[in-house]
Amino acid sequence: MDNKEFERLLLTVQKPGRYSGGEINSVIKDKEKVDVRFAFCFPDTYEIGMSHLGMKILYSQFNERDDIWCERVFAPWTDFEEVMREHNIPLFALESRDAIKDFDFIGFTLQYEMCYTNVLNMLDLAGVPLKSRERDESHPLVVAGGPCVCNPEPLADFIDIFFLGEGEEVDLEVIDLYKKHKKNGFKRAEFLKEAAKIEGVYVPSLYEVEYMEDGKIKAVTPKGDAPKTIKKRIIADMDNCFYPDKFVVPFIQIVHDRAVQEVFRGCIRGCRFCQAGFIYRPVREKSMEVVNRQAKCLCESTGYDEISLSSLSTSDYRELEPLLNNMLTWTQENHISLALPSLRIDNFSEELLEKIAHVRKSGLTFAPEAGTQRLRDVINKNVTEEEIMSTCKTAFLGGYTSVKLYFMMGLPTETDEDLKGIADLGQKIVDMYYAMPNRPKGKSVSVSMSVAVFVPKPFTPFQFEPQITKTEMERKQAYLKSCITTRKIDLSMHDSSTSFLEAVFAKGDRRLGDVLEKAFKKGCKFDSWTECFDLQKWNEAFIECGIDPDFYSLRTRDYTEINPWDHLDYAVSKEFLIRENKLAHKDTTTPNCREKCSACGANCYGKGVCFERR
Amino acid sequence: MKFVSHLDMNRFMTRLINKAKIPIWFTEGFNQHAYLNFAVPLSLGFEGEYEILDLRIIDPDYSNSQLIADLNAASVSGIEFIKACEPVFKMKEIAFAEFLISFDNITAEIEEKIKNFFKRETIITQKKTKKGGIKDIDIAPLIKKAELQDNKLDLILTAGNENNLNPTLVLGALFDLEKIELYYEVKRTMIYNKETQSFI
Ligand code: SF4
Repeated sequence: MDNKEFERLLLTVQKPGRYSGGEINSVIKDKEKVDVRFAFCFPDTYEIGMSHLGMKILYSQFNERDDIWCERVFAPWTDFEEVMREHNIPLFALESRDAIKDFDFIGFTLQYEMCYTNVLNMLDLAGVPLKSRERDESHPLVVAGGPCVCNPEPLADFIDIFFLGEGEEVDLEVIDLYKKHKKNGFKRAEFLKEAAKIEGVYVPSLYEVEYMEDGKIKAVTPKGDAPKTIKKRIIADMDNCFYPDKFVVPFIQIVHDRAVQEVFRGCIRGCRFCQAGFIYRPVREKSMEVVNRQAKCLCESTGYDEISLSSLSTSDYRELEPLLNNMLTWTQENHISLALPSLRIDNFSEELLEKIAHVRKSGLTFAPEAGTQRLRDVINKNVTEEEIMSTCKTAFLGGYTSVKLYFMMGLPTETDEDLKGIADLGQKIVDMYYAMPNRPKGKSVSVSMSVAVFVPKPFTPFQFEPQITKTEMERKQAYLKSCITTRKIDLSMHDSSTSFLEAVFAKGDRRLGDVLEKAFKKGCKFDSWTECFDLQKWNEAFIECGIDPDFYSLRTRDYTEINPWDHLDYAVSKEFLIRENKLAHKDTTTPNCREKCSACGANCYGKGVCFERR
Repeated sequence: MKFVSHLDMNRFMTRLINKAKIPIWFTEGFNQHAYLNFAVPLSLGFEGEYEILDLRIIDPDYSNSQLIADLNAASVSGIEFIKACEPVFKMKEIAFAEFLISFDNITAEIEEKIKNFFKRETIITQKKTKKGGIKDIDIAPLIKKAELQDNKLDLILTAGNENNLNPTLVLGALFDLEKIELYYEVKRTMIYNKETQSFI
């Protein structure tokens, strides 16, 4: 299709800037002069995908190499998809506008389960057969990475290679192997067998899964010399790890429209519901000098006037205060504002608050996750009510009048007492505000509380736990609502149908591949978007495939049961997860990695927090 | 750069100026930001051949040619900086804008219709008011020039804060009243004051 025709079509859809490319720092190469073309696909909209740090890192890293051209691809919104299908425009990469079916690799990053239908839809739009076994040497290799790869089984039929853990090293090793094979006459099957020997590479077609009569897994057996377990890769030395010196700067506004500087990977905390807190272990920090230098360089190359420090829990960065002081010297001079997301409530000091307030006043958000101390102990969220109250007090004294609190519903061992605790906590914050003689004058307080449904995830101590049923959830929601008596509290409880599906796919196995394909064929896509999600179609898909979703999400799993992800090794041992699960049921907390090592297994890499002096 | 809205363009320029390290004046006060001002917003989907941007340089030793060189070095393909100079007119003096409308091949019959359309004494069409209502207006007096040649229509329309006439409205009226339908592309070529002196 010629450019003119293409541009005309773009003008008929919403936000054509999603598809037009040409942004600052986007990389254009001569396709004749590269050996490997890589289509980096984010299975959601441009605005969401472009906000994602992992994609920026790998995009820059691949493009550093002269022999690779990595381009970006996002899921077209439904309006543009219609145009594409009507005019036979195959899915293309933003930089070259070339069809990605002619690329060497199509790589997906899997950030959340609800994007799986988009993966299928994008393959379909690209004109690539969905199933791995239907593809031959004329098709690209379809690979995937990201947190969902810790249980990729529902996608096992569709993806040739999964990358476990952090991609910076393993991706390039696989690309190099591919180059070698390409030179000597590329054969898919042979290549996949060879690739499986690289640590961190999981080729699902090389594993046979057998089931028992009751539906549980009997055994997962590797074929040929594929490894029995596949171990995730990490970057041990964060100071010498690749970090982009520039980001592509979009024209249209995206979700996180700013420079993002990573400060560490992993989290010391071990909140028992949080998958990220386990699969990224161990904590590895960048030094203050490196963070400061990289951050400054990014601001200069992008022209962004806002930068945020990124990690799972930035206030746990050991040198946070000196770092902020260093950064403030150049950010203030250059009119750059510094944003600090995900600050934890329990070490949010007055001094720190002062410092960010200095730069910009944004809303305060905290995540106590549960309403009573007992339940917070169960989930190992080591935050006390006192700390919550004193943080809110500091915030109010600093001129804030609204706080936002995040909670979960349906946590293991939860009772109505715990739900009432959510309402009580909100009430206490409201009361405290009005009891303060020096509260902000003439302003009323607003406490918003958002309550999500708990989703048990693989590689957490709660992987054995069931999710609550829909009926139970509805009862709990009604009860919680009845506990709130003041208008100063704004309670939001989202429609949770997606949480139920999320639990099924998070803990699902290969048999869900058929359901996924059915749902996609029925038109399911953008399932994380309320305007697109269609529960009816999903229910039909489950019934037509004869699969009971409750089998995956509503069942307590025995410690001895073989889980679909048990052959994947994320460096946290099952024994540790079982220990943690038992402690949870005894309302007992576990100290964080800096207080005391709990021998999770992640010290096997010989680096990180496990080797810090305590 | 036709897929970039006016807001996006502002954001782009702010970042480009930071990236190119242009010594530009920042507004004072709580929400400090780089001061820059585009003459008249360009609609999404239009190309601009000669757009005008107002900004203030605070370093007296920073030359105009350096400014242009620095901006171009930092910019992307499709956005090029042509010239920098002291302001000739004030932004509020903007009175007209010139557009080049390109049609696909048009027949002699349609050409006739277009020519007739612009000969009308009055051209009544509907326009959205700022309050969200719709009212009838006569756009004929707001069209200063309309010349058709080689499938291209050269239009000079009133511009500025009052009586700004968007070419989409003109073409909408043309298609409605003459019962034709054509695909077209719009390029804005110049901005003028009330004596039709160009803003260069
Ligand atoms: S081995 Fe110990 S210190 Fe290291 S991540 Fe696991 S619990 Fe934390």
